[in-house]
Amino acid sequence: MLNITALLESIRESPYRDNVVVAPHTGRLTFASDISLGQSVTGPTGLWKEKAGTLLAILERERNPKPITALEKGEICALHSELEGQFVQAGTAIATIRHMLTREEVEHIILQQTLHLFAAPERAKYYFIPEVDKKMHASDEPSVKVHPGMELFIMSRMKREVHLNYTGPAGIIYAVYFKHNENIDAGAPLVGICTSEQLPEIQEVIARIKTEWK
Amino acid sequence: MIDNNIEKRIQALHERLIYLKDIFAGKHEDSASLLEERLESFQQRMNAAFVFDPYTDMAALEDLFSYVERRLDNTITPMDRVRIVRHPQRICLRDILENVYDNYTEVGGQDEYSLDPSMLIARAVITRHRGKKTYQQSVMVIGQEKGHGAEYRNGGSVKPWGNAKAMHYMLVAETEGIPIHTYVFTPGSYPIEDYPGAAQQIARNLYGMAGLRVPVIAVFSEGGSGGAEAISLADRRLMLSHGYYSVISPEGAAAIEGHIRPGQRATTKLIEHCASNLHITAQDNLEFGYIDRVIQEPPLGARPWHFEFFRLLRQEVIRATDEVIISTRSLPLLRGLALKRHGSPKADLENLYIRWALSGHSKKRLVDLRQKKFLGLSTSAISDNRPWHTKMWAACVDYVTQPWNSFKYDFYRKHQRKIKVIMEEVDNEWESLKNKLWAPLGKVLQKFEVKKPENYGEQLTTLSTWNHDTRIKRWKYLSPRYKIDQAVTCPNSAEYGCMDLWGPDLFGEFAGVCSYCGYHFPMEPEWVVQNVFDDGSVREFNAEIEARNPLNFPNFSERIAKAQEKNGTRSGCKTFEARIDDIRLVVAMLMGTFRGGSVGAAEGYKFMEAANFALKKRFPFLAYVHGTAGMRIQEGTHALIQMPRCTVAVRRYIEAGGLYVVLYDTNSFAGPVASFLGCSPYQFAVRSSNIGFAGPGVIKETTGIDIPPKYHRSTQALSRGHIQGIWDRRQIRTNLKQALRTIGGRNLYYR
Amino acid sequence: MDKKAQLKAEVDRLLSLPLTEHVVLVANRGEIAMRIMRACHALGIGFAAIYTASDEHSGHVRLARELGGDNCLYCVSSYHDANELMSVADNFHCTAVHPGYGFFAEDFRFARRVTKRDRPMIFIGPSWKIIRELGDKINTKRLARSLGVPTVPGSDRPIYEEVEAERIAKSLFEFQVEQGVTHPLVLVKASAGGGGMGIEEVYDPDQFRQVFRRVSNYALRQFKDEGVLIEQRVKDFNHLEVQIVSDRSGKHPVHFGTRNCSIQSSGRQKRIEVAPGFVPDTLEYNFDAAKLLTNIVDYSLAMATKVGYDNVGTWEWIVTRTGEPFLMEVNTRIQVENGVSGCIARLPDHKQVNLISEQIRLGLGEPLGYTQAEIATEGVGLEYRIIAEDPQNNFTPWVGRIDQFTWEPAPWLTLLTHVPQKESYEIPTEFDPNLALAIIWGKDLEEAKQRGLRFLDSLKLQGENAQGQELKANIGFLRDNTTNLLRF
Repeated sequence: MLNITALLESIRESPYRDNVVVAPHTGRLTFASDISLGQSVTGPTGLWKEKAGTLLAILERERNPKPITALEKGEICALHSELEGQFVQAGTAIATIRHMLTREEVEHIILQQTLHLFAAPERAKYYFIPEVDKKMHASDEPSVKVHPGMELFIMSRMKREVHLNYTGPAGIIYAVYFKHNENIDAGAPLVGICTSEQLPEIQEVIARIKTEWK
Repeated sequence: MIDNNIEKRIQALHERLIYLKDIFAGKHEDSASLLEERLESFQQRMNAAFVFDPYTDMAALEDLFSYVERRLDNTITPMDRVRIVRHPQRICLRDILENVYDNYTEVGGQDEYSLDPSMLIARAVITRHRGKKTYQQSVMVIGQEKGHGAEYRNGGSVKPWGNAKAMHYMLVAETEGIPIHTYVFTPGSYPIEDYPGAAQQIARNLYGMAGLRVPVIAVFSEGGSGGAEAISLADRRLMLSHGYYSVISPEGAAAIEGHIRPGQRATTKLIEHCASNLHITAQDNLEFGYIDRVIQEPPLGARPWHFEFFRLLRQEVIRATDEVIISTRSLPLLRGLALKRHGSPKADLENLYIRWALSGHSKKRLVDLRQKKFLGLSTSAISDNRPWHTKMWAACVDYVTQPWNSFKYDFYRKHQRKIKVIMEEVDNEWESLKNKLWAPLGKVLQKFEVKKPENYGEQLTTLSTWNHDTRIKRWKYLSPRYKIDQAVTCPNSAEYGCMDLWGPDLFGEFAGVCSYCGYHFPMEPEWVVQNVFDDGSVREFNAEIEARNPLNFPNFSERIAKAQEKNGTRSGCKTFEARIDDIRLVVAMLMGTFRGGSVGAAEGYKFMEAANFALKKRFPFLAYVHGTAGMRIQEGTHALIQMPRCTVAVRRYIEAGGLYVVLYDTNSFAGPVASFLGCSPYQFAVRSSNIGFAGPGVIKETTGIDIPPKYHRSTQALSRGHIQGIWDRRQIRTNLKQALRTIGGRNLYYR
Repeated sequence: MDKKAQLKAEVDRLLSLPLTEHVVLVANRGEIAMRIMRACHALGIGFAAIYTASDEHSGHVRLARELGGDNCLYCVSSYHDANELMSVADNFHCTAVHPGYGFFAEDFRFARRVTKRDRPMIFIGPSWKIIRELGDKINTKRLARSLGVPTVPGSDRPIYEEVEAERIAKSLFEFQVEQGVTHPLVLVKASAGGGGMGIEEVYDPDQFRQVFRRVSNYALRQFKDEGVLIEQRVKDFNHLEVQIVSDRSGKHPVHFGTRNCSIQSSGRQKRIEVAPGFVPDTLEYNFDAAKLLTNIVDYSLAMATKVGYDNVGTWEWIVTRTGEPFLMEVNTRIQVENGVSGCIARLPDHKQVNLISEQIRLGLGEPLGYTQAEIATEGVGLEYRIIAEDPQNNFTPWVGRIDQFTWEPAPWLTLLTHVPQKESYEIPTEFDPNLALAIIWGKDLEEAKQRGLRFLDSLKLQGENAQGQELKANIGFLRDNTTNLLRF
């Protein structure tokens, strides 16, 4: 059992994620004129994320200038302005954006570390078996119980469907990480299971994050 | 205590004052304040019971109001008209139903409980007398309902299914043989693509109306663009004197003229400027010939209490309906007399009875007259630079070839088929008889037949002859961009991981198609002209027809000249004859590179002529839409009228047995799609195309709805049922050939 | 001067530069990149190298630093992205591009881009037009037939009509029966296809129509052209190839003998190559093997002369049990196995020949400098491809870390590898798990085989994967197949 309080504290100590923006390929780099250290930037916006984020730089290769834009909201905490006008290698770090974690992201991190994750064995599409699916829809609160060996998923790949049994501790399904009709990579978590003794604690933590995280 | 009657009249004056202020939007403030002052003081005096003779004073005040209104009526600008027709106090269709007709039943829904409350449909009755006898005449009344600003009426902006409902009841009227009266009260259609689609449904309406076998009378109050056309392809088009009829709302025109980005607003000055330059008034349109008669409204426009106006309107719609009926009569002398009698303003139409039902022959004549009416419009808005001998020659050739073609296709082909059927049957009989006779002998002969040894080895291992090596595709035309040594990023690269393409490969060999994901970059119109049709088979005609600036729209002549120079053509529509593997066809191409492929009078004329030419020649007709941004707004209604006009031409072609195919290539939007393109039963799209009624910016502006990316992509249009298929650019030739071969055929269509 | 003439003048200028003024972009990775860099270094030619992040520890990166210094190397996003190669080449002012094998080696568009861009370079390989011409199977087959070169019986143009297709299929079946084939087979393949897609076998003539329609529809969907080829499916054959070398004049191509590449994996990937193709002096064959070798060499040269072939290339042949050769295809590039031909070839100065050096030298415009008569051969060469895979389990690639990779050096052995010997090495997952090539020379077949086995015995190859399982390699498979080399 993880110490959730300590986990939360450690996140609180550095409540951000540093995203290093790298050159996707070689080319000559020109920084956007209005970019400076400490400046705040936005990620893609719009209802469908159709509007690109803040322009950071232009990378020109074979007379094809390509905009490099911020992918997440944050603040520029490192800027390699010495690269201005240089021909850079693929993967060269251009800038670092410090992204402050949102409440949902914190919840996500803590749950991923606390819950027992059941991972996808292969790249495939996953569905709950119909009975479970019905129960999942019936209630807003996590209530579907699982136990080892229980038939839980239908794994669909190459037009073949295979039933998949749950392995791991008994508990209830607390988080669902896959979407309908979406391919999931092997090793990616499908569901997060919370054991019955864990449950009150997790609920308390979530409640605390909800009230305390700004 | 104020007299109830006086109070009501004061209230009415208040409303007249508000109306006056609203429609002038800050202009004529002195007049407004004068009226306001007088009204205020009258009211104060009334409250204080200082008035000795309230009725006389009241009448004097009302006279003052009327006087000021009359005086200001002369100063009305086009933009004021726009505000008039959109004002909540303006008469609505419901007022007309109440006051113009003697009785009615709504059939298209009630109030907000309707498929589309902005489209109102009613069966109405007009009672007329002849001597002692009373006659009830039924009409189908169709029109947009603004409902005096009621929210759910959506300002008369009709959704696609509202227009479909209108079309449905027009067909009902046709079945019942009763005339249709349509009332145009719309700023434009609601530009969404959900089935049946804004553009595609308007196109269906136009196509349907072009052949309706009952009289159709249209009355315009607010004639906004495609939404107006959806119900106004009529035998007679009347217009209220204070209305407007325009290719686009002045605000829309200003947004385009001022290059306004989404979210910004054009200045009032620019909007006023556009409104006056678009020539949108009743008088303008009467002069152009797009309106047959103007119905005079009371000063500053008709409002529900103008009962005299409703009587006038009633007279005019009855007159128009009668005239249409009379004009279909076959005896010219009687027809002339009757029309003359009816045309007189003194004619007492209430006590005159003309049956509104038509005989079969008259119906045919009715449709023909309506079609010809539209075909003959807007000829003055273009310049026909063909030398006189070319025109004469064309006329002579027509004179000679038309009878021959109609003999060849209408008579000979028809009978030839019958003859062939008979011959085939005779042949079959003979074969079976022959087999019976020879059967015994055949068995004997078979035994003597010696099998010749074949030299398989040689056939299978030596070089075979191969005449048509078509594998290595070498395009005849390459985009000029292929000369630029530059990498190009595919717009789908984030989604599909396409690597940058090398420009010379992409715009040359790849025909503008991303080799990773198949994304189609737009190409030049010439690409299709040279790479789809047989070598050297393209013969252009009517190249001399020139796009002009018929409204003298400021700075527009130069812009047209620039487009002409850039494209090396006189207009944005190129019409030509061509062949694909010896299938001959007529092509009308709208070029997206010529002012966005907008259609004006010249383009419309050329399109119409191409359809006529295909009809005369009995060739399939292809509309290749490289791109079109809509009707050319700077030509005003000269451009807008091409919607019904070209649709009529297309309908005549299709009804004569022609095969009409549309192929969209790049961005194809608005008017043309909502008329002569969208009405084709066979519309295909190249993968690069976006098809729709209005672009995302306009949709956001008019409806407030955010439009998802790729909303207008051809795949979406296909899913919505607007088009019939999507083609790869490199396969246009093959697919077109296949379409002509499979859809066209000797019996159904010309080939 | 117009742009075209300017381009041509610039390319001509490049071709007349002395070797030492050239800078070659090595547009490849791993073993072949190393061989190219060594060859350039030996010829006194400068080079620039590229690598991707996952190849950081590959031997070719180390060798590049060793031979060219730190400033000859650039990290790129992908070896498959031509834009990366061009921009790096411009950055280093390269005059030529060597594509190696795989990646862009047979991509005529890449070759065309290299020579037609605003700053043109030399593509070290045949001219792009030749790559395009010989890269098209139908074109190659028709060229061969026009010169009387034997090809696989069947159609030599796409067939669209069902009636014609059935006639060809019927005659193919009957032809095979005539030839004494007991189980005749016919192949139906999409003419526009490649890479084994859209190919079906027919063993029953009655089945043909169905298969034809299926392949034809597939071809239309997949390749937008419904044409199919109908050919005899030749079974039981040896895979031979002829090494052709020519200078930029394209006028006097020479050959460097034949190779036999019949030992292959189940996926038709070569595992052992031997030069020469047959040894009629040592072994008995059912047919005149010496005559056969002469024939395929002559046929190959005839085609090379006809198209004006102007660099190295390989003509691939299949030879049936009765000694009948059919041309399969032409590989317009340097082959992995060029080393076995090089090690038995002798030029007047008696040295072994490095075909990659020859390719670079000739590609950059030097004349050939010798004639066919001056090329001699001596002994037998064989090449093992050492690969992390499981031959027992359908040659499934093995992925993991290599901890030990050593062998006993010998004067008759050349071992080419990008796997470092001093530290452990993670096999990158996105490329073939090729570890090394071992080229062994012997004075005759017997000696070459014995030395080969000796080498395999001395080889130590160990490692494990993430699950802690032991490394799997094809050493056993190579050993088993050494015994019967060059026997039909």
